[in-house]
Amino acid sequence: MTVDWQTIADAFGLGGMYALMAVGIGLVFGVLRLVNFAYGQLVMAGAYALAFAYERGWPVWVGILLCFGVVVVLSIAMDLVVFRPLRTQTPAVMLVATFAVAFLLQSIALLWFGSLGKIAASLSSLNQPWTIGGVDIRKISIVSTGVAAACLVALVLLLGRTDIGLKMRAAAMDFRTARMLGVRANRVIGTAVVLSGLLAATVAVLMTVQTPLVTPDFALRDTILVLAGVVLGGMNRLVSATLGGFAIGFASGFLGGALPTNQSQYLPSFLFAAVILVLLIRPGGLFTRSGQQAVERV
Amino acid sequence: MRRVRAALELLAPVVLVIAVALFGTIVSSSTQTYVITTLVNVVIVVALYIFIGNSGVVSFGHISFVAVGAWTAGILSMPAAEKPAIMPSLVGFLRDTTVGNVPSLALAAGVGCVYALIVGLPLMRLSGLAAGIATFGVLEITHNVLRYWEKIGPGVNTFSAVPETTGLLQACVGALVAVGAAFLYQWSRYGRMLRATREDAAAARAVGVSVYGQRLVAFTLSGAVAGLAGGLYAHLLPVSAESFYLDLTFITLAMLVIGGLTSLWGAVVGAVAVSAVDSFLAEAENGVHVLGGKLDLPSGTRIVVVGALMAAVLILRPQGLTGGREAPLPRALVRGVLTKFSA
Amino acid sequence: MSTPALVVDALEVRHGAVHAVRGLSLAVDRGEIVGLIGPNGAGKSSTLHAIMGAVPVAGGDVRLNGRSLVGRKPEDVAHAGIALVPEGRRIFAELTVEENLRLAANGDFAEAYELFPAVEEFRKRHAGALSGGQQQQLAIARALVARPEVLLLDEPSLGLAPRIVDLVFDALQRIRERGIAILLVEQRAQRTVALADRTHVLANGRPRLTLGPEAAGDTDTLVSAYLS
Repeated sequence: MTVDWQTIADAFGLGGMYALMAVGIGLVFGVLRLVNFAYGQLVMAGAYALAFAYERGWPVWVGILLCFGVVVVLSIAMDLVVFRPLRTQTPAVMLVATFAVAFLLQSIALLWFGSLGKIAASLSSLNQPWTIGGVDIRKISIVSTGVAAACLVALVLLLGRTDIGLKMRAAAMDFRTARMLGVRANRVIGTAVVLSGLLAATVAVLMTVQTPLVTPDFALRDTILVLAGVVLGGMNRLVSATLGGFAIGFASGFLGGALPTNQSQYLPSFLFAAVILVLLIRPGGLFTRSGQQAVERV
Repeated sequence: MRRVRAALELLAPVVLVIAVALFGTIVSSSTQTYVITTLVNVVIVVALYIFIGNSGVVSFGHISFVAVGAWTAGILSMPAAEKPAIMPSLVGFLRDTTVGNVPSLALAAGVGCVYALIVGLPLMRLSGLAAGIATFGVLEITHNVLRYWEKIGPGVNTFSAVPETTGLLQACVGALVAVGAAFLYQWSRYGRMLRATREDAAAARAVGVSVYGQRLVAFTLSGAVAGLAGGLYAHLLPVSAESFYLDLTFITLAMLVIGGLTSLWGAVVGAVAVSAVDSFLAEAENGVHVLGGKLDLPSGTRIVVVGALMAAVLILRPQGLTGGREAPLPRALVRGVLTKFSA
Repeated sequence: MSTPALVVDALEVRHGAVHAVRGLSLAVDRGEIVGLIGPNGAGKSSTLHAIMGAVPVAGGDVRLNGRSLVGRKPEDVAHAGIALVPEGRRIFAELTVEENLRLAANGDFAEAYELFPAVEEFRKRHAGALSGGQQQQLAIARALVARPEVLLLDEPSLGLAPRIVDLVFDALQRIRERGIAILLVEQRAQRTVALADRTHVLANGRPRLTLGPEAAGDTDTLVSAYLS
């Protein structure tokens, strides 16, 4: 087992990205009580947008803009076409339905772009190392961590200090009562959906730096791990869900770098075995205080 | 009276399976492969139904049981001389044992059953989202282990030299066994108790039904049937660890959903209907003649179509094609038969 | 004679196959308190939820200043000028008292603070830390800051000590004096009948009787109205 600064930086970077994805999933869950299996497809779509721009030699900022645009539009479309009709269904149906949507989007990408993959390498210079105190660390690891931290801080401010943030928090606690106080359901849901899309786009930009090859199953494995992390951390609160996402990202990045190859092959098994263990011991979530229940939403 | 209704409920899926098998005898041999695959899919979807349909709990992990069944039947029925070619590190008794066709299928079902029992013991306490994630974990772990553990199987290699014994007859018999098992289960006390928990877990508990226990029974039984399907698959096609992963999970769930989650008839209808569409599209991807013209779809269209169908059904008609009810035989026929038997 | 602020006209509400409310009609004018009492399951809460648009109206009409509210979303009804104090208070325990108020409106809380000094005192605390009585005051204050024309209250005295009930009912008097139309759903029949300008008795979804304040002491009438 080799632990060096690069491994630790990678772990933080991956943990940060997974934390962002966890927030994206958690925001929508909070207001809609719906787990979006297809969240990773938003990241995939963003990555393809970046590849599209790269192939044409467009400037980096244009690519990023396109990425954000595509992802937010797709996120809103998902809400209108999939989430809204599904709101009255059982959690089991919602789970299978979003799984179907995930697969559908992946197969559309396969049809459209082929299985060979596209390259999105506009920001590949971030793979170059910075030398800090005599140690070489890839820029992207630090940038990922920094961007993730900045986004999380921004979100905390948004949720805690703004009007719409207050309404979103209230809606996540008790949507029915919130509406009767005048909180507009569509506005709150729409904001959550857009924010969730912005986060997915951010993750797409960060992820393509280390994985410039974009294939239809881009971010699929990550989504499954993030979902596991969110459930493991505690689905019902944004804070615990985010911590869960970070934890599994950190563990995955750390062990992936520290373990020798013949053991790291089995990394998914270890991670999921740990997830299952936690689910059995603390089904409410690792990072929740006992007694935190989800409030019924109508 | 109830017995007659029960018999009618069994009749419809059985008739459909036999009809599909008979259809397979009159088509070309390449189409016949699709028919045989359809029948094996019926076994998988019925296995899914036994658990998901009766309990209301979603399991994303059942293809793991298909996988271990395929591994069992495939490895044990390969001629000993062929094994080292693709499985050089195979452990002792697996390397030296060879069994016949039917024993390999029985063992496949047995291993599937045991694996499901082991997995189910801890997992059946979970519901809803946690169960979904946990069963997904089982799928991931199984796929991961089978892919890399070369002491118990071919690892990343594809199976070869497994006797191709799954023809029309074997697949048909397999499907009928699955349907029969599902039918017997759902009419038994166990099946009825589990369905009670699906409707209202608290009420069922209040009358003494053990939610955990009944789910475990269904899970184990469905594991056995899934294992059987794996054995059938191993004797049909060259399979690998990738054959039993997300694609198969998705398409079999799609079949169950589109047919109707909560009935045996729905499971069989869904498997047949979606397999038919999928087969047709697979042919179209290779270029097919339709109504005088040529249809040549790009590769990958079939998954998109099936995916769109599944999403559409879930959003617009979540109870599926059959409405989740058992065989809707024509009213007059039902009444006629029932009056004859109740006199 | 101008239109009453709130008019409920032959209201019918169904929960699945069950008729929760059958043919209820009442009117509440500005500066009036109208009571709605009855045994459990009589349909009182359903009436309020139907007015707010939280449950669908199966028949009849609900009008605010002459304009029908049927079919409108709860948030639209709230913005139109009706505020609900829900059963069980339903305050947001993890938000601060001030945040609870800000949810309803962003403006000036002075009037609400004047009626409920306890709410002002605890405005920075988490709402979950308040006692039952204080939470009830918060729930009413929260409804008031939206400056509604009509105030609906669903069993505000539930689970409260008598001293707090006095406080709440006093506050209702003062709210009435400010010209707000109040529809008060309650289990405490006598106090409601005494306070309100008129009180309707609802049993099994149907209106049984309308009582004036003078009937507050008449136990026999009240009991028979409940049990009929």
